[in-house]
Amino acid sequence: MKTLYLAATLALATAGNGIAWASAPAAAPSSQAELTVTFEQIEIPEGQILLSLYDNEAAHDANGKPVRGAMAKVEGQAVSVRFEGLAPGRYAIKAFHDVDGDGKMKTNPFGMPLEPFAFSNNARPEGGPARWKGASFDVPAGASETRIAIQ
Amino acid sequence: MNRRDLLIGGGLAALGTLVPATARAAAAVARPDWTLGVTDILDDIAPRSLQRIHGRAPDLAGTLYRNGPARFRRGDSASGHWFDGDGLVRAWQLRGNEARLAARFVDTPKRRLEEKLGRIVQPGFGTLQQPGAIVGSSDDTNAANTHVIKAGNRLLALWEAGSATALDPASLETQGQVTFRDDLKHMPFLAHPRIEPDGRIWNIGSGGAAVYVWRLSKHGAFEAGEAVKLPMASYIHDFTATARHLVILCQPWIAGAMKLPFSKSLTWQPELGSKVLVLDKDDLSKASVFDLPPLSFFHLGDAWEEKDGTIRFDGCFHKDVTFAVEGAPGLVEGRYVHVERPELNLVALHPDGRATLTPAGITAEFPRSAPELAGLPRSATVHVGGYTGDRPFARSVGSWDWVKGRHDSFDFGARHLVEEFVPAGQHHLIGTTLNLDAKATELHLFDARRIADGPVASWRSDVALPLSFHGSWVTA
Repeated sequence: MKTLYLAATLALATAGNGIAWASAPAAAPSSQAELTVTFEQIEIPEGQILLSLYDNEAAHDANGKPVRGAMAKVEGQAVSVRFEGLAPGRYAIKAFHDVDGDGKMKTNPFGMPLEPFAFSNNARPEGGPARWKGASFDVPAGASETRIAIQ
Repeated sequence: MNRRDLLIGGGLAALGTLVPATARAAAAVARPDWTLGVTDILDDIAPRSLQRIHGRAPDLAGTLYRNGPARFRRGDSASGHWFDGDGLVRAWQLRGNEARLAARFVDTPKRRLEEKLGRIVQPGFGTLQQPGAIVGSSDDTNAANTHVIKAGNRLLALWEAGSATALDPASLETQGQVTFRDDLKHMPFLAHPRIEPDGRIWNIGSGGAAVYVWRLSKHGAFEAGEAVKLPMASYIHDFTATARHLVILCQPWIAGAMKLPFSKSLTWQPELGSKVLVLDKDDLSKASVFDLPPLSFFHLGDAWEEKDGTIRFDGCFHKDVTFAVEGAPGLVEGRYVHVERPELNLVALHPDGRATLTPAGITAEFPRSAPELAGLPRSATVHVGGYTGDRPFARSVGSWDWVKGRHDSFDFGARHLVEEFVPAGQHHLIGTTLNLDAKATELHLFDARRIADGPVASWRSDVALPLSFHGSWVTA
């Protein structure tokens, strides 16, 4: 089973890497979407949450390039991140709580993840990151919110 | 395979939806009697006295702790492999002529989830995951069902691909999965640690082409750990050790791309042969590799080093992996594939780099030897055996002497399924059998020097427990 867990780790360890952090378009036309992602049930009020936002199944399930990434400093039991200027459509999120703040998923010597992680819809891991089928959700035009328990 | 096997096994499973429930119930009644060895236990076994049915016990006090899978089915769902049932830890307590039994399931995340759902959903060695499975780490699938040792003031229920689980030795209550150090959480800890006579514990955890080597104190505290590369990405259930070396036998059953269940990730590649990696306990970078013919195995005996540097150890070797891939899953279905022929062999690793195999000429499994001689020269290997081919599981207990070439054994007969026996004190062996006529598990004590004479004392419980894998005698 090790290979599968390793794959899970790699996917999570790169969450939020290699993409532009800023997500503020000049003006948001009314046809655009604004998504607030709230992480809750955080057990350790330290470090940061790194997350990747995907807009298609292929990139999501193949651990490919996310459409956006973000980082949120953790100071309590919940924290929110807002994405603006999104095209309305279907999205999914992979996130991990970088408790020690080193920017990486902490792993054991065989690469298994040791920091809390979570997926949109609170989709459950099944020996690897949750799949698009279970984690994706609709983001309509205008403002919307999704909540993710990360523990 | 005869018609009856076909009806009971795969044939019935395939036809299941076409056969009326009453017909299926009738077929279920016709399951072969040995399937009592893979029956389900639904609840913990409350402490109870055993009935002494034979002989008188010597002055011996202690507990035989044993572990093995004991829950394979929930509703319409079932484990796909003998190795995937929930671990039930049994305590067979002996004080003179009085014997008692208590048993508790290890309270694992897997068992908790499946109790809640009323279904078997978690993937395993040979079990496919089902809807509702939650696998955040290997420990979510940890069945804690393979071995139990005492380390310090707690028991460790051992599995293979994840953490040890700590239990209270008196109540058998689960204390939780053990993290020896924060950054080592979820690391695999094999079910077959090698324990030096002074109590220090060596173990490995398998990770494809590497193993993690664990060193624990005699109290079970973490002392050191290090990852070591293997000659090939072999499936590893067991390893062995001399006083100075770790000996890792790599069979040509090779882990490739991950598939579920886990056993499907492994491919049998006999053309690679087998390799033996020998590591210096004091410096794991000092390694040597020996070549052996292709062989398949689960269990090895303790190793020792002779004056000229020759390392010897025994093993129970199969010709190929048919038993693991087809035989063991079939057992849960009540289907017997005639492939369980483990042969006892002695491996010698010579100082000139050659490796040789010497067969004892008997079938044997679950090799054990005196704990006070672990890693030191010895001649006797305790084992079960008498695999006949007409049904699965062992029917005899024995001791093979490698120096004299002598076999001392006792055949319990066709009506007992024989479990592992272990040395108890200097002169005795203790172990259990499942009596198919009494439909009850029995505890037997032998004089280790006169096994053929039969048990010196036997006790019978009032429950039929499915067969366990491994255990430890802990002196009171």
